[in-house]
Amino acid sequence: MVEGLTSTIQLVSLAMAVWCMVSAFRDRPMVVPHLVGMGVLWLLTIAQAVVSTVVWAGGDPPAEPATLVGYLATVVLLPPACAVWGFMERSRWGPAVISVACFILPVLMVRLDQIWNPPVV
Amino acid sequence: MSESTASANAASRSGPGRVLVALYALFALAATARAGVQIATRFQEAPLAYLLSLVAGIIYIIATVGIARSGRTSHRVAMVSCAIELCGVLAVGTLSLLDPAAFPDDTVWSRFGSGYLFIPLVLPVLGMLWLRHVEKGRTAEKAQAA
Repeated sequence: MVEGLTSTIQLVSLAMAVWCMVSAFRDRPMVVPHLVGMGVLWLLTIAQAVVSTVVWAGGDPPAEPATLVGYLATVVLLPPACAVWGFMERSRWGPAVISVACFILPVLMVRLDQIWNPPVV
Repeated sequence: MSESTASANAASRSGPGRVLVALYALFALAATARAGVQIATRFQEAPLAYLLSLVAGIIYIIATVGIARSGRTSHRVAMVSCAIELCGVLAVGTLSLLDPAAFPDDTVWSRFGSGYLFIPLVLPVLGMLWLRHVEKGRTAEKAQAA
């Protein structure tokens, strides 16, 4: 796994989570800048999927291929799914959905990393 | 404003319900997919744990759909699934601590869902509170109309 990309996704995701949480507390609905932010996050997760595929094909297979593919698919689908689901709700609860999802994404990234390189006990 | 509040009460998937449905959907996916992989690749290692994961996943799916739909029957079904989830996470959580050998591999409910940030423990409680809140809103609306 590429260290830099993983931590970038985690940082961007946490930033989005905090931003959306502030919007939710200020009783603001989702606006276009939120969507742009989620778009950036989505592109980053797609990049992660591409990089993982390249590393895999380059001869560094993950410990649990099926689980890894499942997590990768979830990571890639999470930003657009929660963005659409949040944008449909025209109240403070729209950003709240995004915020929750963006707090979960970094955790998924940690799991992704663990699946690729299982911690040696 | 009062009109939008009333219609928000009618549909359980709006407002806070939207966050709940999103979380439930994610857990439905997590539990079912995990169980699917485990059953397909190494069922013999821990059949009980994997079957439990699968059951948990199916209950999460039922709860997700039940909360997302607005009918009263759907909510009853969702309420029952939330109750089963709560019993499941408490029972499996306790068992996995008392008799770790019975659960050689983790399920979503092992150790009260500690591998999943304890969300499996909190989710059914939130679900039931939310469904009760929606039901109250519906009753109030009906009383107003009468």
